[in-house]
Amino acid sequence: MRRIGLGMLAQVLIANLMLAGCGGTLSKQWPGPTEHLPIRHELESVPFYPQEAYQCGPASLAMTITWSGIPVNPETITQEVFTPSRKGSLQSAMIGATRRHGRVAYTIRGPDAMLAEVAVGHPVIILQNLGLSWYPVWHYAVVVGYDLHQGTVILHSGLKSRKSIRFSIFDRTWARSDYWGLLVLPPSHLPATATMHEYISAVLGLEKARQWRTAIEGYNTALGRWPDSLSARMGLGNSYYALGDLESAEAAFRKATRRFPTEGSAFNNLAQVLWERGSQHEALEAARRAVYLDGPLVEVYRRTLEEIQAGKP
Amino acid sequence: MKMIRQGAKPISVLLTISVLLISMPHKSALAVMVGTETVLDVTRSQEARDYLNQILAREDVQTALVAEGIDPVEAKARVDSLSDAEVVSLADRIEQVPAGADALGIILGTALIVFLVLLITDILGLTDIFPFVKKHS
Repeated sequence: MRRIGLGMLAQVLIANLMLAGCGGTLSKQWPGPTEHLPIRHELESVPFYPQEAYQCGPASLAMTITWSGIPVNPETITQEVFTPSRKGSLQSAMIGATRRHGRVAYTIRGPDAMLAEVAVGHPVIILQNLGLSWYPVWHYAVVVGYDLHQGTVILHSGLKSRKSIRFSIFDRTWARSDYWGLLVLPPSHLPATATMHEYISAVLGLEKARQWRTAIEGYNTALGRWPDSLSARMGLGNSYYALGDLESAEAAFRKATRRFPTEGSAFNNLAQVLWERGSQHEALEAARRAVYLDGPLVEVYRRTLEEIQAGKP
Repeated sequence: MKMIRQGAKPISVLLTISVLLISMPHKSALAVMVGTETVLDVTRSQEARDYLNQILAREDVQTALVAEGIDPVEAKARVDSLSDAEVVSLADRIEQVPAGADALGIILGTALIVFLVLLITDILGLTDIFPFVKKHS
């Protein structure tokens, strides 16, 4: 192995970059009052549900789902997320339950993202280990505010609403979950820290949970911010299709073919919808176009073409 | 869809509609529709490749590569040969590197370039620094 000679500074920086990239339990930088955030912010509209034994997961979800516009109580949610054998709620169960209630589940990591979200009025569910690394006591709480001057976060946690905790203390327990946080949002609201791929993946989660209407809304929200996203447009068409709204599905796929004239998948899905709506001639044209455009999914396009040809009167 | 000619008699309209109804297939398997997840995966890996190519095309990156005795053309070829999963993972890693403009902006910029050069030398098998880079024999 050839050794590359590097300055000391560069080596130190690389070491830091590697550690940051590995997402280890190196404690993060918490911003002081000079950053681009309001000095303090507190959300008044997040209801508080005190948890019963082990049920911090359901309580946190109930608080945030209710805040997002769908009134629920912890008892309703408990069955969906609580796993008695593990005395708690798995993160994946939290995400699944969020989706089944027609809300976008968007995970975030770290203080910067969390504070940015709270600053625009989004409560954040966080996971902390209140025990020891070899005897963890996992706990979900909801961040409803912060104060950069005092260096505190404000939590709805356990039996206490609006509990103020210093950053340094909060960091220790939150770091153990790798600074995991969850946003529970209506499909019309983008996270403050949303990135295209992450957000569309989150909406895809709704589609997979068969929440067609909220997925449609989510994809439209995505297209509002990222009008050139093929995935969002295809997701829109697919969700309309699954809902049985073929007219809207056709419109969505048509728009996709106009914006992405070299995308076989858009023509393929358009062909299928046209065929089902009875426009056989156009369906054939679209299916042929997909096959012509080729690509990694050309076998799917061929199948579509064959089916349409077979169904031709 | 051919529009029914203006002034068509009502009976032909009815006939057209009934023909459409009879020949309308019942909802066929979604297997012939390309699912959203597939589209997302394919677009993501393509975006990642474009992103990596953009970085490799940068003058400062190329200069740094040449200074380390690496042929930028060779580097690009190696990155091109990575699998979809690998390019996505690589692009994600690079995006995580802090390179924002702040007081340390200049230094971080240099660090980013050095990081990239080392990443590429790792891919080329010349160094063994990053555990997440799989070594190709």
